[in-house]
Amino acid sequence: MKKVLMMALLLLAALMSGCGEESSNSGKLNVMLQSNVVSLDSAQATDSASFEVIADCIDGLMQLDADGKVIPALAQSYEVSEDGKIYTFHLRDAKWANGDAVTANDFVFSWRRHCEESTKYAYIMGSTVACVKNADAVIKKEIAPEQLGVSAPDAKTFVVELDAPVSFFPSLMCFPAFYPINEKFYNGLEKNTYGTSPETFLSNGAFMLTEYLPGAANIQLAKNNNYWDASRVSLENLQYQVVSSSDNALTAFKNGTLNLAVISGNQVENVKNDAELSKDLHTIPTGILNYLSFNQDAKNNHGGALANVNLRLAISNAIDRESLVDNYVTNGSQATYTAIPIRFAANALTGEYFASDQKQFADVVSFDVDKARTFLETAKSELSRDNFNLEMIYANDSGDTVVRVAQAIKSQVEENLPGVTMNLQPMPKAEYLDRITSNSYDIAITNWAPDYDDPMTFFTLWTTEGCEIAEHWSNADYDKIIANCTTGELAAKYNARWIAMYDAEKILLDNAVIAPLYTNAIADLISSNVSGIEFHSVAIERVYKSAKVQ
Amino acid sequence: MTKYIAKRLIMSILTLFAIIFVLFVLIRIMPGNPFPVERMSAEMILQKRLELGLDKPILVQFADYMSMLMHGSFGNGTSLYNGAPIKPIMLKCLENSFKIGVLSILFGTLVGLVIGIVAALNRGKFLDGLCTIISILGVCIPSYVFMIFLQYFFSYKIPLFPYFFDPSKFLSSAVMPALSLSLFAISTVARFTRNEMVEVINSDYVKLAEAKGLYGFQLIRRHVLRNALIPIVTVIAPLVVDLLTGAMVIEKIYGINGVGKLMVDAIAGQGVDYNYVLALGIVFSSLYIGVMLLLDILYGIIDPRIRLAAKDG
Repeated sequence: MKKVLMMALLLLAALMSGCGEESSNSGKLNVMLQSNVVSLDSAQATDSASFEVIADCIDGLMQLDADGKVIPALAQSYEVSEDGKIYTFHLRDAKWANGDAVTANDFVFSWRRHCEESTKYAYIMGSTVACVKNADAVIKKEIAPEQLGVSAPDAKTFVVELDAPVSFFPSLMCFPAFYPINEKFYNGLEKNTYGTSPETFLSNGAFMLTEYLPGAANIQLAKNNNYWDASRVSLENLQYQVVSSSDNALTAFKNGTLNLAVISGNQVENVKNDAELSKDLHTIPTGILNYLSFNQDAKNNHGGALANVNLRLAISNAIDRESLVDNYVTNGSQATYTAIPIRFAANALTGEYFASDQKQFADVVSFDVDKARTFLETAKSELSRDNFNLEMIYANDSGDTVVRVAQAIKSQVEENLPGVTMNLQPMPKAEYLDRITSNSYDIAITNWAPDYDDPMTFFTLWTTEGCEIAEHWSNADYDKIIANCTTGELAAKYNARWIAMYDAEKILLDNAVIAPLYTNAIADLISSNVSGIEFHSVAIERVYKSAKVQ
Repeated sequence: MTKYIAKRLIMSILTLFAIIFVLFVLIRIMPGNPFPVERMSAEMILQKRLELGLDKPILVQFADYMSMLMHGSFGNGTSLYNGAPIKPIMLKCLENSFKIGVLSILFGTLVGLVIGIVAALNRGKFLDGLCTIISILGVCIPSYVFMIFLQYFFSYKIPLFPYFFDPSKFLSSAVMPALSLSLFAISTVARFTRNEMVEVINSDYVKLAEAKGLYGFQLIRRHVLRNALIPIVTVIAPLVVDLLTGAMVIEKIYGINGVGKLMVDAIAGQGVDYNYVLALGIVFSSLYIGVMLLLDILYGIIDPRIRLAAKDG
């Protein structure tokens, strides 16, 4: 018996060895993530959580300041050629955490690798977004990655050649796909292991990874003393906790475990009634647009009734968006009547958001029951049908907001449009996305988060090519405008391009390809002793470089 | 004996093969796309499917998979979701689950033994009833309910332990999940110990020892416990596997990077990660089958009658 006891104690000691306990809390920030970080490899990452953590650790050429303006990061300065097709970035003296200098070659290597290896975000290099020379051909593996239009004439100069001028190119440089990777370090790793542990990830940014595993619920970062802007960073430790239940998050915030927690719409009311907690409540606007996607594919289950524009318009005008956000979403989200979210893509010349005029398309997107019924009557006579039985799908595993929104839309539409029945089809996200990609749905409640700070990140969704996996709508005029604005003659003309995009939006909404619902906001609880967290509606949602804990 | 072991071994391998086959087919036919990323075009998804051979008939895919498995690789060896290699990450997660599992087994066995012994020595009295109630509660209350209870009282109300699992504070973070997981072990061991002890106490040789003048602790330790505890190995072994695989909900709510959470994420994450679900399924089944095999052999050694029965059958 004694021996057994001794063995047990020894085992216990062995288990505990190497588990040093630390209790210091100063300069340590604990923030919540709602879902797992997919990957710290920017060629694999697809989600805002991953981008946020990558951006904590790696700096790109440019970064966003507190107001969302693009300012230099690793690039000290840059020049653009007259035709807007050649960008020359001059790098500052910066180091990787292992002491190596950050060189232009790190960018060349990373950009080529991204085109070659990224399956999900490679397109951002291509002709619909960044227009890097030869990117499309490299992505399709038609030519060698060495032919990508990037070069490093010397260690501190990085040159990018574009196929067409891209007005928002500097802002793209804030996105992780364009961040550098240390080539020597990368080549020293086993295949596929880059960014899978603190040992296989090298930072040059504000923080270093100290605890991480793919899919980890807990990610720990520590200040990187080799960071070029280290004086700006006051946090010693930054810890991420993945919490999928918002009830759990609220409790953890109350007991001080989390300094920043995201709560759901139905918790907001309770928090507002709590004198203490309500002081910590912040509404953070985002650039995420929630909308109804109408599948116009005639092959779909219900005879392709949604291919009829009047039926789509009827539904879009029968929805009371104000009531949706006030009574069902309740986290500060804003009703939206445009295809572009409200607080997003400010005009570089006027500073005004692209969609600041929400009444611009009121003739086709509004809440007007009489108009909706007129549209419905036209649809009925055009299709010679009196009843429409439509199926609405949505993913129900990411919170209950969408569930309440779906129920509200169903009751509004059925009440305002006699003859239209909506069958709600909640399903897990994996199945939901499968249905969308395979085109087997009537109506889907969906959303889109912008990848870069330009309306085009939304508009390209609805071109004939981009529509492939969604609405199944095709319009030659629309395609022409978009092509003109991305690689065509308008690419270099800022104002004309801006106006042309409104024309495209008009075609889109006149045809009710989608029914915009609301622009997401996030209800955050932030401890009163925390300051300096920067929130952005694009690319990197939260930045902690200037965050402080008193 | 060799023949007996060989027979059990072959049975185990066949069982494992059958499990892998069923798992493989089930995963392929369940709804959900392994690449449901909104950012991928239909063309890219198709290309990816071709790359992974997902367009081939299921049986061909299964043959390919088995041949890769024979070479020690779970499919192409990487997660479909994030491209990271499966093996090192799964090992790391197994280690995390195992550490907490061992803690809870140690604790559960010790407490279970004490409760069982106390109950057996006081059989029919108040303490026996109390111990029975405790062990029934332990079986009835799911471990994650107990976990939420602990989290609320000992982390939220009285902040003794971290509210979420913190890998840098392993010991204090492990207390609550290990305690909740040990609940089942406590009740199983306690019930088993009590029954075995009662049987031994009532046996002739203990009565003889008592007649010879032995009493109290001496009697219990040298004659009762020793004989009552040998079979307990047979309860604890499957418990270890149970803990490794059964901690899914606890790992998910407390944020422990273990195999349970890995499994939940692979199934209910953004895409169904075929490679992970299969790899974890194979590891879990192998563990179960391995332990069962070990037990069968142990039984054979402890109790030759089982071997004979197997031969007759």
